[in-house]
Amino acid sequence: MKFIVSSSELLSHLQRISKAISGKATIPILDNFLFNLSNSELTITASDLESTLITKMAPENIEGEGSIALEAKRLLDILKEFPEQPLTFEINEENLTTDIISENGKFSIVGAPADEFPQLAELNQANTIGFTIDAGILEKGIIKTLFATASDELRPVMNGVFFSLTENDITFVASDSHKLIRYKRSDAKSSKEASFILPKKPASLLKAILPSIDDEVTVEFDQKNAIFTLPGYKLICRLTEGNYPNYESVIPTVNPNKLIINRTQFFNAVKRVSVFSNQASNLIKLHLEGNQLTISAQDIDFSISAYERLACQYNGDTMEIGFKSVFLNEILSNISSDEVIFEMSDPSKAGIMLPFEKETEEEDELMLLMPMMINS
Amino acid sequence: MDAFFASVEQRDNPQYMGKPLVVGGSADRGVIAAASYEARKYGVRSAMPSKIARRKCPFLIFAKPNFEAYKAVSKQIMEIFFRFTDLVEPLSIDEAFLDVTENKLNIPSATIIAKKIKEIIKEETDLTASAGVSYNKFLAKIASDYNKPDGFYLIKPEDATEFIENLPIEKFFGVGKVTLKKMHNLRIFKGIDLKAQSKQFLFSKFGKSGLYYYDIARGIDNRVVNPDRTRKSIGAENTFHEDIFTADEINDKIEEIAEKLLERCKRGQSFGKTLTLKVKFSDFKQITRSKTVDYKLDNYNKIINLAKELTLLVDFSYNSIRLIGLQISKLDNVDLFLPIQLQFDF
Repeated sequence: MKFIVSSSELLSHLQRISKAISGKATIPILDNFLFNLSNSELTITASDLESTLITKMAPENIEGEGSIALEAKRLLDILKEFPEQPLTFEINEENLTTDIISENGKFSIVGAPADEFPQLAELNQANTIGFTIDAGILEKGIIKTLFATASDELRPVMNGVFFSLTENDITFVASDSHKLIRYKRSDAKSSKEASFILPKKPASLLKAILPSIDDEVTVEFDQKNAIFTLPGYKLICRLTEGNYPNYESVIPTVNPNKLIINRTQFFNAVKRVSVFSNQASNLIKLHLEGNQLTISAQDIDFSISAYERLACQYNGDTMEIGFKSVFLNEILSNISSDEVIFEMSDPSKAGIMLPFEKETEEEDELMLLMPMMINS
Repeated sequence: MDAFFASVEQRDNPQYMGKPLVVGGSADRGVIAAASYEARKYGVRSAMPSKIARRKCPFLIFAKPNFEAYKAVSKQIMEIFFRFTDLVEPLSIDEAFLDVTENKLNIPSATIIAKKIKEIIKEETDLTASAGVSYNKFLAKIASDYNKPDGFYLIKPEDATEFIENLPIEKFFGVGKVTLKKMHNLRIFKGIDLKAQSKQFLFSKFGKSGLYYYDIARGIDNRVVNPDRTRKSIGAENTFHEDIFTADEINDKIEEIAEKLLERCKRGQSFGKTLTLKVKFSDFKQITRSKTVDYKLDNYNKIINLAKELTLLVDFSYNSIRLIGLQISKLDNVDLFLPIQLQFDF
């Protein structure tokens, strides 16, 4: 078979899907891209068995049809070095030699048989549920939650983003049991109530591709796998099996102490004060009294301490609550609103953080952070 | 504290006062945790199997341990120590090192402080304690054991050399049964014999501990009283009423012990990354297997999964099993004063 493609167009497609390749593949064929030419369409696949990314291109001057696996790293390395130009691929399917003919030369490699490449997972049609979602909403749902997923070998359900679908909305949830993010959109919905857990890796693969997409994404899934179909790309991935914990039950309902504060000021002050916190605990204390927030930290071992006072709007009892500064700032940097609302009940219960202004009417964003117990 | 557990039992149960009493299981396979001074007259000692203790003293009273009561007293005496100094290093539930060089009451003499503490303990807990005073930890500990019960002993710097030279080797703090035997084989019986050995010789025989023995034989112990001294390991074990040998029994017991261990870790808020499985066979042969993981063993599943992995490394067909134990070490978060990151309960 034979085809001609633009060097830079091919590179950008390959770079996007190459993130599915793990680098420590269990079977060597997974270090390859699978090229398939049929019906004047070039389909390229990259996979680590758990997640598979597929992209499609329309090459020119096509002769013949067929499939071959080509070494991913070498292909990317050479494509990066070409200035934009048409490249001719000439593939001999009998001995698998592949010549890439450029303006001034020829680069020859030997591929691997396409049938060594693992079969793609297929959905069980009887149990498949499908819905469509705007690419921007899906991207935001993932960005908002992905950072809060856990890395807990023993509790794999926590290592992914939980998608909860209803006829009225779609909710994205992630938690590492210290922090929890719940991001709900009423402008996305499913025809059927359902849920699934998307593992971290495919979620980050989607996060990388979605910004370039300005269209609807079709999602289909059964108990085991999910397929995300985007214009030009397809992601097939294994889902995490198991039940996501009942996250609603850990959201405190009565939170009489309410703080409203400028997000950037709060974030920067926490960052500065935390330099003086104990490096093992990263504890900073928030003291709330009147319309003043005092952020303080100390490291007794080195006799260092710091505090900063910020004006804020506070309604509630005088209280002191401790947080891990890293967690607090992760959450603050994940909010886009200028002001944040921080609702608390007592120093041993989770604090709720909400944006003061929503970016769109249809979103409902809630972040929860467990405090640190202050023993003194 | 003198015969601590036993004294608490006698205090709380006046009918036992003045009688030979031990704390520990009365079953034949039980072990004595503590013996009253009356029981000691019959040769009953702590760590002695109950069976032997009963043979030595047929009318021995066995009291069930009441750890809540012992802990309460422990808290009381530690609190008394803190009235004098913040430099308190608890050594066990009922003893501690105190550095009183500078003390809260500005008492110039450690002897006066020791006697005062003994008085207060007697007054507030109705129990007796023994105190030892000297210029380092090693000598202070030995002094405290020298004149029990309700004793006091002072080792002055000028008397230290003579005292140590005449001290039987088994009285040296840190010399246990095994080391003692080794020392005796090397014809080291008293402090003076130990002092005669070269540093190289002791190192070659006892490793790092040898260097410690070399120093203490000369009355040198530069360890400071460390109020933050933390535990290095937490363990739980079970000696079975009857030896066990089936895989199901072993698994059941390991599950029980893992639960107990987790309970202890939680109580101390200390979680480690190394788990050690100890198995003692009925012929007393003991083996241990351990593994270090890169996550904290802070829940039941993590502990039990690793424990079961370790059981695969043990040849249980060797003999029936008398004891199984689990221990977690490489503790982090051991500092009780370190704030704890709370978690959602799901």
